[in-house]
Amino acid sequence: MSVVVSPRRSIRFTAWTLTGGSVLAAAAFAWPFFVGAVPADAQVAVPIVAFALIPALIVGLVLTLDREMYTAKTVALLGVLSAVGAAVRIAGAGVGGVEAVFVLLILAGRVYGARFGFLLGLLTIAVSSLLWGGFGPWTPFQMFACGWVGAGAGLLPRWSITTVQRWRIRCEIALLAGYGVVASYLFGLAMNLWFWPFAVGSGSGISYEAAADPGQNLASFALYSLVTSTLTWDTVRAITTVVGIVLIGPAVLAALRRARLGPRR
Amino acid sequence: MFRLRLAPLRAAVMLAVGFVLLRVVYRVVFGGAGAGLGPVLLDLPRLQLDAPFSHITLLGPITLLGLGNAALSALPISAVIVFFGLLNAIINVQALFARGAGRGPLRAISRSLVIAWATFPALLESVRRVRVARALRGERSIASLLVPVFEQTIERALALAASMETRGFAAARVVPGVCEAPVVLADAGLNFRGDWHLDDLNVTLAPGSLTVIVGATGSGKTSLLHSMSGLFQHFYDGVQHGSIDIAGADRAATPPRDTAGCVGLVAQNVRLGFAAETVHDEIGFALAVRNVAPSIVHARVLELAARLQLEHLVDRPIEQLSAGEASLVAIAAALVNHPILLLVDEPLADLDTNARERVCTVLGQLAHEAGVCVVIAEHNTSEFALVADAWLQIRGSRLHEVPLEQVLTTDDTEDTAPKSNASASAVPLASIRRLSVRHKDHLAVDAVSFNVPAGELIALRGSNGAGKSSLLRAIALPTAADTVIVAGHDVHSLKRRTRRQAVALVPENFDDLLFAITVAEECRRADSGLTGADTAQTFARLLGFDTAADATPLFERHPRDLSAGERLCLVMAIQLAARPALLLVDEPTRGLDHRARSLVSAALFTAAGHSAAVIFATHDDDFAQSLASRTLRMHAGRLTAPIGVLS
Repeated sequence: MSVVVSPRRSIRFTAWTLTGGSVLAAAAFAWPFFVGAVPADAQVAVPIVAFALIPALIVGLVLTLDREMYTAKTVALLGVLSAVGAAVRIAGAGVGGVEAVFVLLILAGRVYGARFGFLLGLLTIAVSSLLWGGFGPWTPFQMFACGWVGAGAGLLPRWSITTVQRWRIRCEIALLAGYGVVASYLFGLAMNLWFWPFAVGSGSGISYEAAADPGQNLASFALYSLVTSTLTWDTVRAITTVVGIVLIGPAVLAALRRARLGPRR
Repeated sequence: MFRLRLAPLRAAVMLAVGFVLLRVVYRVVFGGAGAGLGPVLLDLPRLQLDAPFSHITLLGPITLLGLGNAALSALPISAVIVFFGLLNAIINVQALFARGAGRGPLRAISRSLVIAWATFPALLESVRRVRVARALRGERSIASLLVPVFEQTIERALALAASMETRGFAAARVVPGVCEAPVVLADAGLNFRGDWHLDDLNVTLAPGSLTVIVGATGSGKTSLLHSMSGLFQHFYDGVQHGSIDIAGADRAATPPRDTAGCVGLVAQNVRLGFAAETVHDEIGFALAVRNVAPSIVHARVLELAARLQLEHLVDRPIEQLSAGEASLVAIAAALVNHPILLLVDEPLADLDTNARERVCTVLGQLAHEAGVCVVIAEHNTSEFALVADAWLQIRGSRLHEVPLEQVLTTDDTEDTAPKSNASASAVPLASIRRLSVRHKDHLAVDAVSFNVPAGELIALRGSNGAGKSSLLRAIALPTAADTVIVAGHDVHSLKRRTRRQAVALVPENFDDLLFAITVAEECRRADSGLTGADTAQTFARLLGFDTAADATPLFERHPRDLSAGERLCLVMAIQLAARPALLLVDEPTRGLDHRARSLVSAALFTAAGHSAAVIFATHDDDFAQSLASRTLRMHAGRLTAPIGVLS
């Protein structure tokens, strides 16, 4: 006999776990701005705590989601799609860092929901990092940020207006492309946030200074972000994402939705 | 657990060096490279920014000490990067997933990772295939590459999911099977989305019997088989009426995963369903997901491998199997739980004669010696004539038990299509001159030369591996000048667009050419850039309609929702859009039944009217004889009978 947990309760439980985990993770991403609030003696420990918190949260959330994902179809789709994502990411690194992986995360998150999108983000980064070798302390942060991109796509509004199919597809593509732009820039900001103190080190104009007031740190961060990624990588990523979603979005959405339906005969 | 792979370490070292350089650049740009009293290397002007960036100064003097300090300060983090690269280089994370995939709290994620890993080779292969397909269609858009690759990937995921489901993945309980009654269908009916139904099913199958389900493509052989495996009801969302009891379990209420202990399934395309990395783990999969102790799994795998004579394959990676070996491994994997009922879907489709015999013998032994109830869906019926105990034929929406003779005779009747009676003109339409194709160190096509007169419908015959497909592809996409001349043009020198007007190929895996979301869009896409092309009209004609308007319901559908015969006609219509002088079709009847074959044969005949000549490669004797005006025979890369004229 197996214990039957009411699905509703278990879903609500994982929803709370996911939300709570994401809030904690967001705090860990923004650690440079929390240092001032901590007693001076403990300030050194803040980045270390942040670094330990993210992997711990990933393990916790994955443990929570693992049970829920334990069906053959979900596991197979998750595995195969994360391989596609990893391949896209590795192939993209070969052509001047064109980041097209968001296209897949957004489309799959949209069709299969926030949890699937979140896990797909985590796994895509995990697989590509292990395969290509870009594994390091930043990997958990990347995994989380990509998980958010996928999950966010799953949370976008759905509508059931019975308009012409062609227009419905266009609206959906426009929505996803818009989300893609927002996600690209936010992803860049989030990734810069936790790494900025390490990337720049101390002693330069845009360095992070624990003792300085938050306004000054924010300005330094803004400039750092602008020159390192917002104007370059993030813009390239936003453009790639929009172009990708517009070009292959309708066909990929159709393929993903058909997979849910049934056999090919 | 441990192994040495240098690539991750190399990548980490590159990253670390990049990180140090980046740190130095930051210091230079944001005024931090002027520390110390050493000599100033470069005195750049200081630039003070305005609010809110007033605390930031750009540039400023650069000293050697300043640069050194910047680089030094980056070293700890660089060391961390290299350290992680080293870990990644020596720890075999894959092995960790494989361990976690069997049991433990992360088994779903670990299994996903194992699948992801195993998907990479398939992805590369898929990209290679689709690149050829889009060159054949004359497309260059990114969608024409990515969409077919993606569709193939999703197809793989579904096949994999079905195979894991029937082998007990994520099972909540184990149904103890009742050996005496493997299959009992009483007043059962099946219905799929209103498109297809099968009624009045009353079937009882005994242990130790071998039953073959026969019927036309699309008649629902596979659906009937899966109504027994449970995939029809629980995976494909089909509707079941009446009662279907499999090994004592009510199928409508029992998902496939719960009957994995007593029902084994060998799917149609076995390679797509492989969920593990080695033959050993694949055979033992159904036990591993049930948390059976590894030593027991190992013993059982060796026992089965010995029984099916697969011992030499046990440690082989799963992707290195030949088609015949893959079928036998899939059968072994389905037998690992000692099933009461074994369901096999078209086991012979991709096999050569030797492998077919071996698979038939194995299945016969299982039924008659081991007492398993074996049910096979297959349209290559003659191979099972010696071992089958009963034949079930699907006709219309009913199932009939028929004697062997009737199965064989109904399968052989072929309505003869009208023969082309084109007058061969003196000047050949196309000439192939010393065309060769080399695959690595093997010469697939060896200096083949022949002429194609206009108006011909030529059959290209020969056994598996004779070089038929290679020859057709080389005619469509020649790699050397002066080897293929069509209507006075050297095809090699033609541009993408003009090449489509000379020669077009419908490859064996024709689905790779499709990438739109409706049939109508697919047709529009084919027409673009061509004056006077009307692919929709051509498609309707190939299907036997008079005008495109008669086929309207088809045009709004997703191309991949069409039947195999209809899809082939769609791809033919697309390839005919530019009115190629020469149309090549590779294996147009593969996997098609009698009715779909007549559709295709009529379509080929119509196509011959749209282009000046058609060459088609086929295995099918009747099909070739009923249609072809000439026959070319190929053996080991050479033509054995250059343009043999049929009587």
